[in-house]
Amino acid sequence: MGAAGTTAPTTTPMTRREFLYYVWGASMALFMAEFGGAILWFALPRFRAGEFGGKFTLPVSEIPAVDAEPKDFPAGRFWLINLGPQRAADSRQPADYPVKEGVAAVYKVCVHLGCLYKWVTVNDRFECPCHGSKYLASGARTDGPATRNLDVFIMRALDANGNELAKTKAGDPTSDPEAGAPFALPEGTAFIEIDTGKRIQGGLNTKPGGGK
Amino acid sequence: MAIFKLHLPIVDDIKQKGLKPALLAKVDEGVTRLTAGLGINDIRSVLRGDPAPRPNPRVKPHADGFWFHMRPTYYHNLVTPLYPQFRLGWLSVYFMVFETITGVFLMLFYTPSPLVAFENMLNILSNVPLGLFMRDLHRFGAELMVLAVALHMLRTYLTGNYKKPRQFTWFTGVLLLLMTLGLSFSGYLLPWDQLSLWAVTIGASMVEAIPTPYPLNLLGDQWFGDQYFIGTFVNNLVRGGPQFNDNGLLRWYLLHVLGLPLIAFVFIGVHYYKVVLHGHSLPPEAEKVGEDTAKRVPMDQRTYFMPDIITRELFYVVLVTFLCIFAVTLGGYHAPLEPHAEALITPLHTTAPWYFLWLQGMLKVGDKVFWGLIAPGIIFNTLFVLPYIEVGPSRRYADRRIGLSVGMVVCVTLSMLTFMGTPWYAVSSSADQEIIAEIVPQTHPGPLRATPWDELTVGTYEAKNWEQAPTPGLKGLLEEYEHAVATAQAKDKEGQFKNLENLLIIEEWQDGLKKITVRVTWQDATGERTASQDVFLHRDSNYGG
Repeated sequence: MGAAGTTAPTTTPMTRREFLYYVWGASMALFMAEFGGAILWFALPRFRAGEFGGKFTLPVSEIPAVDAEPKDFPAGRFWLINLGPQRAADSRQPADYPVKEGVAAVYKVCVHLGCLYKWVTVNDRFECPCHGSKYLASGARTDGPATRNLDVFIMRALDANGNELAKTKAGDPTSDPEAGAPFALPEGTAFIEIDTGKRIQGGLNTKPGGGK
Repeated sequence: MAIFKLHLPIVDDIKQKGLKPALLAKVDEGVTRLTAGLGINDIRSVLRGDPAPRPNPRVKPHADGFWFHMRPTYYHNLVTPLYPQFRLGWLSVYFMVFETITGVFLMLFYTPSPLVAFENMLNILSNVPLGLFMRDLHRFGAELMVLAVALHMLRTYLTGNYKKPRQFTWFTGVLLLLMTLGLSFSGYLLPWDQLSLWAVTIGASMVEAIPTPYPLNLLGDQWFGDQYFIGTFVNNLVRGGPQFNDNGLLRWYLLHVLGLPLIAFVFIGVHYYKVVLHGHSLPPEAEKVGEDTAKRVPMDQRTYFMPDIITRELFYVVLVTFLCIFAVTLGGYHAPLEPHAEALITPLHTTAPWYFLWLQGMLKVGDKVFWGLIAPGIIFNTLFVLPYIEVGPSRRYADRRIGLSVGMVVCVTLSMLTFMGTPWYAVSSSADQEIIAEIVPQTHPGPLRATPWDELTVGTYEAKNWEQAPTPGLKGLLEEYEHAVATAQAKDKEGQFKNLENLLIIEEWQDGLKKITVRVTWQDATGERTASQDVFLHRDSNYGG
């Protein structure tokens, strides 16, 4: 087609009919979008938040010995750990997360993609069978694709009458070393109560070998 | 005079021509209607391979019939040999149909409920006539379908057929690849075995990690109380609740038997429509650079659908069906079934099927948001837009060195990632656990359970003395045990395992029930250590098949 002699394209003004079709089309599109949203809303499963959490009260005799292997509580989906000087001296512990001695309830589920990690005695650590995240008994990640330490549940130390003596500190362990940390059970503790409805996410830990 | 006139031309015909010729003519008429244009004699001439008469009646079904109008009337001679297409697209469609047929059979004996799904599997395997056969066929067909679709895409990439004007054909092809992967993923979730549970758990946890982009994340904190509210939302949709259970299983079942097949069949239609519209493209070397002559087939270069292609395809159907049947019978292929789903145990060595190992490998590398969402997202989005960004005019191999090199690098990378997805990479446990898992694995029956029950003679055996075992079955089992020990010891470079003793203890526990203990004992710095696993086997456990 030659450049010269071409006629300018003619534009026809919008007629009322054309305009009304656009309005009609737009309202159809809006309706379909609303309908799509309604379908998604309809497809959401119905459950109450926290429905699956529960409080587990255990006598202190259930707590593993100081520095012993973590103890599995499948019913509550947690491991009880009791960290002492030996664990605190573990050279594999990331420097960013020094061990706080004491008792804690660690959530049984790998923070990577939801598999259940296992305690491997010989390697003296938790290992996840799915993608190979590794955690120490303290819950600190040392290796693998996970990017934070293990989650812990809020735990309360109770005396024989059920009065609270101490409680896991809530907060963000990345910035607050006390948050979610194990604590030594105060004198007179008879029971511990673990609230699996309240979970503290582990501190950020992304480096190979462990560290923020 | 009759009030009602009965109109029966057949009676007149019989009167005129006689009984037999009139009936034959009637049958011929029926056949012509059924084939939309071919009478008995035309069909016989097709099957005999006679040259087509003129005018050619064999093109009529392509014009008038529904089924044949989807197929081209003729092909270019250059695309009918094995090269360049290798029949991979045809195979993909074949397996889609094959899966539908075998799948409908399995649906008859399956209820999507965690209460009975696994029981249904056992029923199909042991009680339903041909149930084992059908399940094996369904699974085998699924694996071959993934293979066929993947190779089909690779072949299309290598011969550059995604280029103009076939960009959209490629686009729908990538969509069909996703459908195929989705179908196979949703399929292995249904038996409610360990793989089902943990595959969904991992898959749902991946989408749960979807980060909320700025500025919506600000919205999340204030409105939804959760900066991952998009991930939480999608996670709830696919898991059907906070835990994968009856609700979630029903969702994946409906997706498997209804949602995905529906979308897949629609897009197979779109895909094949485009294939026929643009013509099957010729081998790259057969036409000039930038030319597309697929639709201009000279008269002397034509291979007609009837009789050549249709007879060949009938033969392929027979051949592939025979190969599948052979594989699952004499070939010994059996669809895997892991133990019943157990929410409190993630099995050691749990792996995705082979076509998802690359993804499992990627997930082991690092952060789940990048390796689980962004990286696969980049891969599939690149595939989608590939024909629109790679617009080099030439399809010839010599002109596409960069493209072919990239393809090769991708294939090698996928192979490496596939290896990284296996239990040998990053997830192997301590030697004692590995030895025990070798003998009594948590994902499949394994050598101990497969040993004939009668050959498990009561007694205590040591793996290294396997040659003295009293029965052949036990001998083979102990040899595998010893092999597992040797493998584990070779890996134990730090010398953690000293004085390793590997026992197999078989006890008569009850009438018809044996207790077998696999016990590994060794010495390390802390003293004597033991790891052991008990297995109870009943006379009728029947693992060995």
